[in-house]
Order: sequence, then C-alpha cells, then structure tokens
Amino acid sequence: MSDSETAALDNVGIEPTVKSEVWRGLVASSPVLLGVVPMAMVLGAQAAQKGLSVAEVPLMTGLNFAGGSEFAAVRLWTSPPHLLLIVAMTFLVNSRHLLMGAALAPFIKHLPKRKAFPALFVMTDESWAMGMADARQRASAGISHCFSLPYYLGVSAGVYIVWVIFTTLGAGLGPIMGNAESYGFDMAFPAVFLVLLRGMWNGVRAARPWLVSLAVAALTSVLVPGAWYVPAGAVSGILAAFYWSEPQ
Amino acid sequence: MIHFENALTILCMALATYLTRAIGYVALRNRRLSPRAMTVLEAVPGCVLISVIAPSFASKQPADLIALAITLVAAMRLSMFPTVVVGVASAGLLRHFLAS
Repeated sequence: MSDSETAALDNVGIEPTVKSEVWRGLVASSPVLLGVVPMAMVLGAQAAQKGLSVAEVPLMTGLNFAGGSEFAAVRLWTSPPHLLLIVAMTFLVNSRHLLMGAALAPFIKHLPKRKAFPALFVMTDESWAMGMADARQRASAGISHCFSLPYYLGVSAGVYIVWVIFTTLGAGLGPIMGNAESYGFDMAFPAVFLVLLRGMWNGVRAARPWLVSLAVAALTSVLVPGAWYVPAGAVSGILAAFYWSEPQ
Repeated sequence: MIHFENALTILCMALATYLTRAIGYVALRNRRLSPRAMTVLEAVPGCVLISVIAPSFASKQPADLIALAITLVAAMRLSMFPTVVVGVASAGLLRHFLAS
C-alpha cells in the first residue's frame, strides 16, 4: 500500500466500522483481481522486453497506477524513451478519469481535501465503479453520506497491491510466460464491468446514452488506432444524455 | 537498476495521470449543480465503463463474441464472482476449441 493510502486510512480510523468497511472492499475486489493478475504479468513481461528493469517496472505501476496508459506507454517505449509522446498518450488514455472524478465529486465533496486528494490517487476504473455502485446501494438503503471511503480504499488497496506485485513478477518472469489472452483471463474485465452496469441499470430510457457510447466506442476502436475510442465513446454518450435530458 | 531518462519519463507519466484524476473533482467540488446537470452526470459512469469494454463488442473472433454473449447473459443473472468465472472459462474454452 502506498504512503498516501495509509495516511488516508489513518485519517478515517476513528469509527469502529472502518476496519470492516476496508475488509468489505478488499473482499469485493477479489473477483476483479482474477483479471488483474494475468494482465499485470503480461504488462511486466512486455515492459521487460522493451528494456525496463525489474526496479523501473514497479516504479511505473506504483506511481502511475493506471493499466491502460501503462500498456500504451510500454508499446511506445524506446531507449531512451520519447518523453513528450509517452506523457501525451498517458494523459489521453487516462482522460476518462476527468469524467470519473467529476462524477465522483458530489459523493466526496464533504470530505476534507487531505482525504480526498490521496483517495483520488488510487482511483481506477474498478475502485471508482465499485465505490459508486456501492454508494448507490447504500443511498437506496437510506444511508446519508452514502459513499464509503474505507470501502473504496479497500477495493483500491487490493487492486494496487496485486498490480504492483504482479507487474514486477511479470518483469522478472517475462521470458518464461505464454500469452495470457489465450487462456481467457482478459474476459474478466468485460465480466466485471457488465455486472457493474447491471447495478447501475435504471431502465431503458436512462440507459440510452450507454448504447450511444457503446456504438461510437466500438466503431472508433475498429476505425482509429490507439485509445481514442474511450474519449470518443464517453463524450458522445454524455452529449446524448445532455440532449435527452432537455426539460420537455 | 534505474536509468535517469526512464525514471524522468515515469515521473512525468505519473504527474499527468494524477492530474486526470484530480481535475474533475477540483472543478466540480464547490459547484451546486442543476437537476439537468445531475441527470447528465448520472449517465457518465455507464458511458465511461461501456466505452472501455467496447472493443470486446467489436471483436472479429467468433469465439470472443460468443464468450461475450455468454458473459452478458451471466452478468444479468449472477453476482460478480460467478460471472467472472463464467466469462473467463467460456472465453478460454471457446478460443481453444474454435481456434482457427
């Protein structure tokens, strides 16, 4: 666990339920980890192939901690690396975080900044989506301040520890391994995300923007190389949501 | 062993990534949003998630598409862990038996 995360946990460590909430998050992260382990090994192996050392790989995966951008960076890595290109691609691939942070803001705006900023450091697709889905459930159960920071940090801790350890392991073991995709582990991510989407399901009307996102992102991924499909799909879905939300 | 150029690039990557994580929150933290803005914001999580996995829906491999369809059905009925097991197992088996 990173220092910032530990600090965030200490700050909320007064209530008796915090420990159980962190544990609940850790347990909830376990199905996700089934998909994270093989992807981490593959990334580590690819990074080692590109000449990154076993010390540099955890430096990247621990400080950057955003898998998609790390795959993109490793693909572009040369010796020495092209700094501007890699940083620009990183920002682009992770631009979905802008939207995620915006969607999370109403849920965490009651938190002091010294908790919110470290918590944002570990925001991933998985921890964010699970934290939001959990908040929705707790809200419908009538709990005020429905976003559970320790639950979110528990999910994040599971993903963080496994990601950093197994990318390092992948860098060390790289040459011995085969291709994880041939075993089907990559299907863990669509599986996790589809279950999360079901949890957010609020009727066909509310889900129409999702279909727009799906169609545009799928089409973009076929036609345009790189990671453009994520911002393209997300933005067109949001535009559709904006259009359909017009007061009648 | 850590090379200076590699470490510098990694640090700049980390900074860029953290900015993407913090900017949305900083921009909206002290805003009071209209009901319409809230409606739009509520659609954001689903739009982002489905965009991230969209390439799976555009796969050209029949094995992957069938496995995705099975996973989709599983996701509508089962909880998280069994869905992941069904998804991984069906993708692994179908790729093995339908491999061209």
